Amino acid sequence: MRSRNRADPEDISDLMLFGLETEYGIHVDGKGPAEMIAEARAVVRAWRGKSAGPWDYASETPRLDLRGFEVDRLNRDRADQRWDKDSERYESQSDERADRVLANGARFYNDHGHPEYATPECRSLYDLVAHDRAGERIVWESAKAHAESGAPVSIFKNNTDFHGASYGCHESYLIPRDIPYEDLQKALVPFLVTRQLYAGAGKVGVEPSSRSESVFQLSQRADFITETASIDTLSRRPVFNTRDEPHADPELYRRLHVVSGDANMNERATALKVGATAAVLRMVAKGWRSELVVREPAKAMQAISRDPSCRWIVELEGNRTMAAVDIQRVYATEASEMLSRDDDGEDVFTALEMWMAALDGLEQYWDSMVPSVDWAAKRQLIEIYREVEGLEWDHPFLRSLDLAYSDVNPETGLFRALEQEGTARSLVSEADIVRAMAEPPTDTRAAVRGALVDRFGAEIAALSWGGVWLGADGSRSYLDLGMPNEADAEAAAVKVRNASSLNEALRSLSAIS
Amino acid sequence: MALQMEERPRAPLSPEPERKIGDDGPRRPDVSRPDSKRLLERMKRVDPEQAKRYRQRSGE
Repeated sequence: MRSRNRADPEDISDLMLFGLETEYGIHVDGKGPAEMIAEARAVVRAWRGKSAGPWDYASETPRLDLRGFEVDRLNRDRADQRWDKDSERYESQSDERADRVLANGARFYNDHGHPEYATPECRSLYDLVAHDRAGERIVWESAKAHAESGAPVSIFKNNTDFHGASYGCHESYLIPRDIPYEDLQKALVPFLVTRQLYAGAGKVGVEPSSRSESVFQLSQRADFITETASIDTLSRRPVFNTRDEPHADPELYRRLHVVSGDANMNERATALKVGATAAVLRMVAKGWRSELVVREPAKAMQAISRDPSCRWIVELEGNRTMAAVDIQRVYATEASEMLSRDDDGEDVFTALEMWMAALDGLEQYWDSMVPSVDWAAKRQLIEIYREVEGLEWDHPFLRSLDLAYSDVNPETGLFRALEQEGTARSLVSEADIVRAMAEPPTDTRAAVRGALVDRFGAEIAALSWGGVWLGADGSRSYLDLGMPNEADAEAAAVKVRNASSLNEALRSLSAIS
Repeated sequence: MALQMEERPRAPLSPEPERKIGDDGPRRPDVSRPDSKRLLERMKRVDPEQAKRYRQRSGE
């Protein structure tokens, strides 16, 4: 596979890829947290579509830190360890995780008790949203299939169980290696602290807390963010994650791994969350540097999330304050001045339009954002119910409504009801969601991965994001997927799909390289 | 495929005319609420114990 020889920041339009990995909540009637590893594993294994495995864990480097060192171990949530079962042992990490790579290039596996769906690498926001929605459908179809042989299964696309356990929706952005880490962190932290204004999924109450509190938060995740920057994801979660695991040539690329965001139900919220972040990264790649420094970023994130006044005032270094909307507007304005359609593409400018519109709406009336922002839609729904039933914000039933908002079941989910009513604005077509369940994006290395799974899955020995081990019969060879441009990715995938045998496919891929 | 600002066509739950959805800009005093009756019905069907029973493993 042809790869880039060097990463030129000016080529970021060609370079930037993004993806989402979502840990779904799972509830099985009659089962508790101690059974969730087994249940999530069973859900993943119940997927009936084409897939291949196992995952090539040897290629992963989760303990490398962007700041230039390797940690001995990653922190775990000690409270969660009470659910570990001595009687539950698997032959290997691979067996426990039940990794599958699907024909659409996605990864689907059990991540410690959560069905996790990682989209294939996408070059456009449209593709990303379509694949994120496809993931919801795949997880739900798998859950229904598993439920055929046992108890009913519910799937939730959210980030908390309201009892102190959180799980993530992580974003990945491929960027040039030569952007200094310090510049990345300085530019991203104020942005990530404040983007919950349009990317937050909303939450009733505060954690940790043993009782409901009369608070509606913008963010599900803010309660669990305690650090400014760290490599950890299971505890002491940071605003800015410093994991250095590009899943690509580490000499050329970094992967910005964002763990502090919420899982979104609304397609436009997903697109804006990723589109705005991508725009900021484009600016940084072009030399833009942030002047804003937030004082105690993790605390600021929580304060914004919990602010009932919707003023969202942020304390900055230098003993001054600034409204979160104004911080976001600095970023959006700089992006609109610095980025160009010719260099950065139409996609970026559509995201900029959405970004500016969201900020305008948020400055006026929060409920003007109901069609596009999850926390606003959730808050409006719950307020409707409160008014009718005469409930206060600390009534425990409201947390059940909060949870029901993220229920992916079209018959019971509250966001699903908003979609069906036409209140939630969509972005991608039904046909493209269905297509994304079976087909990868055509313009990234996922196209080749998906084609190999689709055509020659039985001959795959193991896979990772960056390559495929072939030769399930014992003789193995490695295909490095590289980082092809749009044209090369599409051409390579076509070669694989048209080949009559794996050997013919590999020969034709060598010809492209 | 490029990002576009188009809606995905769908069939409404009822034969009522498709509700007009405004843009994302400020709209006081015409901020519309969704059809409350059907949504209320669905919300009333939510298990009140759902959140209390919902326990997860800590993830990433």
